[in-house]
Amino acid sequence: MLAASMVVSLAVTAAPVAAQQGAPSIAVSGAVPTPLTLTATDLAAMPRASVTTTNNGIATKYEGVWLAEVLRKAGLPIGNGLRGGSLSMYVLAAASDGYQVLFSLGELDPEITDGQYLVADAADGKPLFGEMGAFRLVVPGDKRGARSIRMLASLTVVQTKR
Amino acid sequence: MRRAAVAMAAIVAVGSAVAQAPPFAWDIPAPFPKPPVPADNAMSAAKVELGRRLFYDRRMSVNGAQSCASCHRQELAFTDGLARAVGTTGEMHPRGSMSLANIGYSPALTWADPVTTALEAQALVPMFGTEPVELGLRGMEGRFLAVLQRDSVYQRLFSRAFPESSPAGDRYTIANVVKAIASFERTMVSMRSPYDRYRYGGEPNALSESAKRGELFFFSGQRGGCFQCHGGWNFSGAVRYDGGPAVEPSFFNTGLYNLPGETSYPASNTGIHRVTRRPDDVGKFRPPTLRNIAVTAPYMHDGSIATLGEVLDHYAAGGRTIAAGPYAGVGRANPNRAPNVHGFAMTAGEKRDVIAFLESLTDSAFLRNPALGDPWK
Repeated sequence: MLAASMVVSLAVTAAPVAAQQGAPSIAVSGAVPTPLTLTATDLAAMPRASVTTTNNGIATKYEGVWLAEVLRKAGLPIGNGLRGGSLSMYVLAAASDGYQVLFSLGELDPEITDGQYLVADAADGKPLFGEMGAFRLVVPGDKRGARSIRMLASLTVVQTKR
Repeated sequence: MRRAAVAMAAIVAVGSAVAQAPPFAWDIPAPFPKPPVPADNAMSAAKVELGRRLFYDRRMSVNGAQSCASCHRQELAFTDGLARAVGTTGEMHPRGSMSLANIGYSPALTWADPVTTALEAQALVPMFGTEPVELGLRGMEGRFLAVLQRDSVYQRLFSRAFPESSPAGDRYTIANVVKAIASFERTMVSMRSPYDRYRYGGEPNALSESAKRGELFFFSGQRGGCFQCHGGWNFSGAVRYDGGPAVEPSFFNTGLYNLPGETSYPASNTGIHRVTRRPDDVGKFRPPTLRNIAVTAPYMHDGSIATLGEVLDHYAAGGRTIAAGPYAGVGRANPNRAPNVHGFAMTAGEKRDVIAFLESLTDSAFLRNPALGDPWK
């Protein structure tokens, strides 16, 4: 039953959401105790963080909220509680155009790895715009930018272990 | 004694300050980086001015008919408007003249050369190359350098650009000529287009709504995906920059041809296969910068596509199909076609939007910058 609900969740989030009306938002859904719909206003009220990346010689300071904080807000056991079956969960990040990137939940936990994953809503002091979309998941430690998903629209958490 | 030592130290400090050339004043807007400069060819205003004179001097050709600028016209972003370049003796080059906009940042030079990565070395190709003849100076080095040495303008410029040479006659060398030309080329920076004002300059109205929609199409991997080859701020893939890491150039087969036989591209233009001889390199060419692309028609390495709209049709189809003639074939089926050239659906409106976006990359200030123009006029 649980697996079936995951499939439905994936199907919904994989569809482009650009046409949806209202303020841009990120849907956090799937195997989470507390599904969320986060707008820029919601992110502004959460603990803020920043990272600076350099792309072809241009430095950009991204500002936003650590992805781990977003997942914690959705009720996931980030930190000491991330054990056992929780380590077989993954997060599917999707853009409004349908582009998808997959992360294991364990790699996103700052108590397990040193990886940095920022849900950014601003760069160099200005809200993200244009091809960036309103939100970008920035992964500064990656050698290529392919996982720094622009136009971030949804985070779907999936439990693989039955 | 101590006072004397202090005084001596002060003299040394003053002396080294006098001997040290002032740092070169780049005309590069924020947030763009400076291009890399080779350790043995430091930038100087004098060297740039000398290189500019040489770039526009028809005495750079065997018959006085052409200069570098003959195939690299500023108003066309330093291309020439021809499908394929024509040398000073009338020989046709197999490929078209590439734009020199931001050429100092490029990890590879010309369409299909993975080996020649320094501007100084590349300048030797049009000067002395014979396949084809471009400027035709091979065997004329002595005569050419003597012309420079006799010219009062060049006497002044060479002495300022290469003051360390002694005796003075040693300044007039081919090595110094290409150093000066390369220095001038490094100043060909194009970063002031409407798109730059929109993306980096805080001017949300610098682009039309159509161009903004085109940007989304261009940068969406699920739609156009154009950025996968023409990515980065130069719209040419990864760039080299001052203090940056080494960058390996990328070359792509876009499915422009698919001929039967030994090579799937016309024999005169097999891409980097011409150098590597690897069968899987047939048809691979460097993605040019898309900056100023609206003024650099015709397109592709051989100028075989006339308009931007037709270029988009080619990519939307995932390769070009030529129905009849010596080049007949289905480019989409080329075995070396890059996975990035996957084809995509595109409405007429989306096509207009992408073209509007590409037009927003035209940097009018670059095309008219007097510092890059002909100093002999």
